[in-house]
Amino acid sequence: MRETPLIGPYDSDDVLAWSPRAPRTAGQFMADVYALAESLPDSPSVLNLATNRYEFLVGFAAAIIRRQVTLLPQSRAPHALLGITGDFPGSYALTDGDDSIEGIESFPIRLHESSMSLPAGIPQIPVDQVVAIAFTSGSTGRPMPNRKTWGALTAVAQATGSKLGLKRRDHVSVLATVPHQHMFGLEASVMLPITYGLVMHAGRPLFPADIGSLLAERAGRWILVTTPLHLRACVAEGGTVPDGGLVLSATAPLGRELAWEAERHFHAEVHEIFGFAEAGSIAERRTIDGDHWRPLDDVRLVQERDSWKVQAWYLPDPVSVPDRITVDRDGSFVVHGREADQVNVAGHRVSLGDLNHKLLQIDGVQDGVFFLPEERGDLVTRLTALVVAPGKTSEEIQRLLRAHIDPVFLPRPLICVPSLPRNATGKLPRESVIQIVRQWMEQEHS
Amino acid sequence: MDDSQVSSIEPDLAVLIVQTLKLKVDPASVQPEAPLFGEGLGLDSIDALELSLAISQTYGYQLKSSDPDIKAIFSSLRALAHAIEKNRTK
Repeated sequence: MRETPLIGPYDSDDVLAWSPRAPRTAGQFMADVYALAESLPDSPSVLNLATNRYEFLVGFAAAIIRRQVTLLPQSRAPHALLGITGDFPGSYALTDGDDSIEGIESFPIRLHESSMSLPAGIPQIPVDQVVAIAFTSGSTGRPMPNRKTWGALTAVAQATGSKLGLKRRDHVSVLATVPHQHMFGLEASVMLPITYGLVMHAGRPLFPADIGSLLAERAGRWILVTTPLHLRACVAEGGTVPDGGLVLSATAPLGRELAWEAERHFHAEVHEIFGFAEAGSIAERRTIDGDHWRPLDDVRLVQERDSWKVQAWYLPDPVSVPDRITVDRDGSFVVHGREADQVNVAGHRVSLGDLNHKLLQIDGVQDGVFFLPEERGDLVTRLTALVVAPGKTSEEIQRLLRAHIDPVFLPRPLICVPSLPRNATGKLPRESVIQIVRQWMEQEHS
Repeated sequence: MDDSQVSSIEPDLAVLIVQTLKLKVDPASVQPEAPLFGEGLGLDSIDALELSLAISQTYGYQLKSSDPDIKAIFSSLRALAHAIEKNRTK
């Protein structure tokens, strides 16, 4: 079986991860990985909850060496985590800091002061080893596991870098606002730097002012891995950024006008990645150049009846594209939107069916429905929910929901109603739902 | 520290928070010492981002997560009002 090295071309003293207080060299990284790998409990799988990107990577690499699969939950809501460990018995959690989840054995990631000489110390990993499982929300209320092999993650990183014109050992620092437990975050902010021998920033800036000052911290070229939400915030806030960069956005469609503004703000090309957890990143485009997506090397789109599937050597089976797309003769394609059940809130995809299912499991909730209102030019459009739960207040239901779903999907507003206007087949026409919300808004503001 | 000065923008800030985040609460009912995130008002990191933009536009104060006090600043309406008072440029 083919094997590839755990990390790309680094010398022992090359900085692999950057944080102002504690830069880590590639030699220190391998020493951290081996030390942690030796002390990990025996288990087939591990939930890596580290918030620091470097510590996450140490945990991920140590698990790979121990042949443990890293579980990447979509949400940190306690019930969601317990649901996953229930499906993967024996799993434990890797954490940094004092984070611990009740009911899950937790194990802190500790760093040491030693270093190793490279490249002799870099292990080879079989390309067919399953190294991670990313969860997506299915319509059944249970998270759907998507298995990722080492080959899939490295191939996507390699192909993404090649589309962006990266060379191995380029002096580039990668800064990301996206979580590394997300597929795009894992691929672009962790796998891309370690495959190409770049510097990975350990932090995760939130505010525009953070992004500007962190980019200025290190001399040389940079890549900002981010989302339309953060780009909009950066453009609105202004401020200065050093030249010599490239912006990579994903998780939600980026408007062409915002892409223009972001190119001006960052003095940099703004590229977008198209992908989904089931297949990983599959295509790239520079947003201002037009609507067409260019598939990554090794990716092919094939039509099966009325849907499109992604084929690649690293995917065991073709994977359905969850969006409606049209494909040109040259293989490039245009995306027309998500299938009805799937919505995107601030870059997080979720199945409405899944949310409805979780809502209905709450004690006292007789009926209920989540939906995404029309966008109104706000930074984020949140979900709305209509709930039939006699005797309960919307605050009580919100509090109970919080334990089951990611906070980003908590409805605003959650409107309690005496009944839902279901039609004869039990379906809820969107128009009647919107009508109820409109009436409620008028009452609220009168 | 002079308490009357610290609390002076609290009511305005409560209105800014409720309007920016479209919360279903009366601004006057926001408890000055209650947590803004998690329990309490139940805000998340996207709210923090939206709020940071509104604060920057209204008061000319750019929040930074690299600020060692950032958790304390966002801990309550009172703490946030205090940080804005100290750093505002408009």
